[in-house]
Amino acid sequence: MEQVMNQRMEQLLDHIMKKCLWQFHSRAWDRERQNREIIGWAGRVLLGECDATPPDPLDRCHWVDGVALVRAWRERFPWINTLAVDEIRALMESLHARLDFLTRTGSLNAELTDPHY
Amino acid sequence: MPYHEFEVSRCIPERKKHAVVKGPGETLADALPAGYLNTIPGSISERGCAYCGAKHVIGTPMKDVIHISHGPTGCTYDTWQTKRYISDNDNFQLKYTFATDMKEKHIVFGAEKILKQNMLEAFKAFPDIKRMTVYQTCASALIGDDIEAVAQEVMEELPGVDVFVCNSPGFRGPSQSGGHHTICIAWFENKVGTVEPEITSDYVINYVGEYNIQGDQEVMQDYFNTMGIQILSTFTGNGSYDGLRAMHKAHLNVLECARSSEYLCNELRVKYGIPRLDIDGFGFEPLGNSLRKIGLFFGIEDRAEKIIDEETARWKPELDWYKHRLQGKKVCLWPGGSKLWHWANVIHEEMGVDVVSVYTKFGHQGDMEKGIARVEEGALAIDDPNELEGLEAMYNLKPDIIFTGKRPGEVAKKIRVPYLNAHAYHNGPYKGFEGWVRFARDIYNGIYSPIHELAKIDISRDAISTEGGFKTQRMISDVNLPDEVKNDPSMRQYTGAYDSLARLRGKTYPVFERTGDKQVAVEMATAE
Repeated sequence: MEQVMNQRMEQLLDHIMKKCLWQFHSRAWDRERQNREIIGWAGRVLLGECDATPPDPLDRCHWVDGVALVRAWRERFPWINTLAVDEIRALMESLHARLDFLTRTGSLNAELTDPHY
Repeated sequence: MPYHEFEVSRCIPERKKHAVVKGPGETLADALPAGYLNTIPGSISERGCAYCGAKHVIGTPMKDVIHISHGPTGCTYDTWQTKRYISDNDNFQLKYTFATDMKEKHIVFGAEKILKQNMLEAFKAFPDIKRMTVYQTCASALIGDDIEAVAQEVMEELPGVDVFVCNSPGFRGPSQSGGHHTICIAWFENKVGTVEPEITSDYVINYVGEYNIQGDQEVMQDYFNTMGIQILSTFTGNGSYDGLRAMHKAHLNVLECARSSEYLCNELRVKYGIPRLDIDGFGFEPLGNSLRKIGLFFGIEDRAEKIIDEETARWKPELDWYKHRLQGKKVCLWPGGSKLWHWANVIHEEMGVDVVSVYTKFGHQGDMEKGIARVEEGALAIDDPNELEGLEAMYNLKPDIIFTGKRPGEVAKKIRVPYLNAHAYHNGPYKGFEGWVRFARDIYNGIYSPIHELAKIDISRDAISTEGGFKTQRMISDVNLPDEVKNDPSMRQYTGAYDSLARLRGKTYPVFERTGDKQVAVEMATAE
């Protein structure tokens, strides 16, 4: 089961890496926020926990990317519609950790810690 | 992901850290090319300088401006004969270029006097133009001319004019990318917030990192106008100087080329709280998703869907025609910066080509992260290549075509590899649904050029066949296609106009009632 979940997480991750740009903002603190917010929104959308447009523009921008992500996942990976609540939470958690590693903590990009834009 | 060492660069061992091959199962955490570093002495690379990056890439596409280089005339080389960032005001910024013509005597005695004289003369020669940008060059930077002080004097002498000074001499950074950074920050600090714009829509954006190459901006502008979105400013292609002074009043920054202008979006987010939405304007699916996201942000997604449906129905049959004929063709995607990641995945998915190599002349490691993430396994990624490395890569990878600039492009042609101009395009615009088909058509024309077939024959070595006549493109491209594809009536070659922008200029757009208008009307009625 763990192997299946890992394969599924890698599918979602591959989609993000090939189709999205938001995970590659230029600084580590930006990437930390982007990954947390957008994966967070995607998880809430998958769980049906958000039914209103966020009023704050910065939140709404993250929400937009989260919604777009879920729509693409649902279309490409029909198995995602069959998951239980706990499975979705676990999947999002492992996806977030892996994305953080590849784009932030494990990234070899020397510019990520530059204190200025 | 192993580093790749070029045979030709063994004498420059530092170069080994600048190229990697994306191996099976490997990730960005295994290896990443070094980037945004000074070019290694001995490596003749293809970069521009920081002055070029500030002026010729970012500043000059602004359309209603006199752009002056404070330096030798040669620094203004890039104008209408090399650049293709057109504008809808008869290309003023391309047709006229200005330099203070610094000579040796000015280096000795100073050049502030001729700078002021040039600025006054330029305003006098073009009395309708009230905005100016002045660019420091290596020469004027080294002698320490105080350009800001001169600009201030001119603004005091000529009421109504406004001048922006950009201090980005050629040596300020390892490449043109240093100039992108400098001008973004200078514009943000000195000009943003100095004009209060008229807001005409509930949905207001800055369109950032878009340079209107052969009309790209005008294509996207058409979509935004159709959706009822006000483009407060475009940074900077076809953009106006005063529009860009009003960037602080937008609701959303829509960012295309993050490489050149993410700095500006980041600062606008920090100071004014304007969100940054990165988009892809190239390719049916990425563009469609980008329009949807903008629509979703403003709550007008239905307007985006209408455009996507209409444009897809019109142009998809033509894209598919080319996709069948480009399937499996090998491409070296060798642009300057952002196109390596804008195009890496979508040309594979939507045109069927295989990207065997990506490179960037001036990109940072962040651009390589995006590019490597988007290519398939086996691709060779190179940072700041030199000419010999480019040749070695082409001999080894045997691409069917490369997408690059005109200088390395001409090198490729010498070894009989066709190239498309990735910076200025061949027959653009390439953005938009129709533009994407124009790009596919250009790739097809490049790969299947009958003349190119003849060029492949080495008359000093190869036997010249006297049998068989001249082969047309279709004879070459369709030779292995099954009949059901060749004769499929649902697909067709490009049917658009030679000038795809003509139908956009002068077009009228739907008028949407504003929520703000309703509120004002209610408030006025209540007050009465």
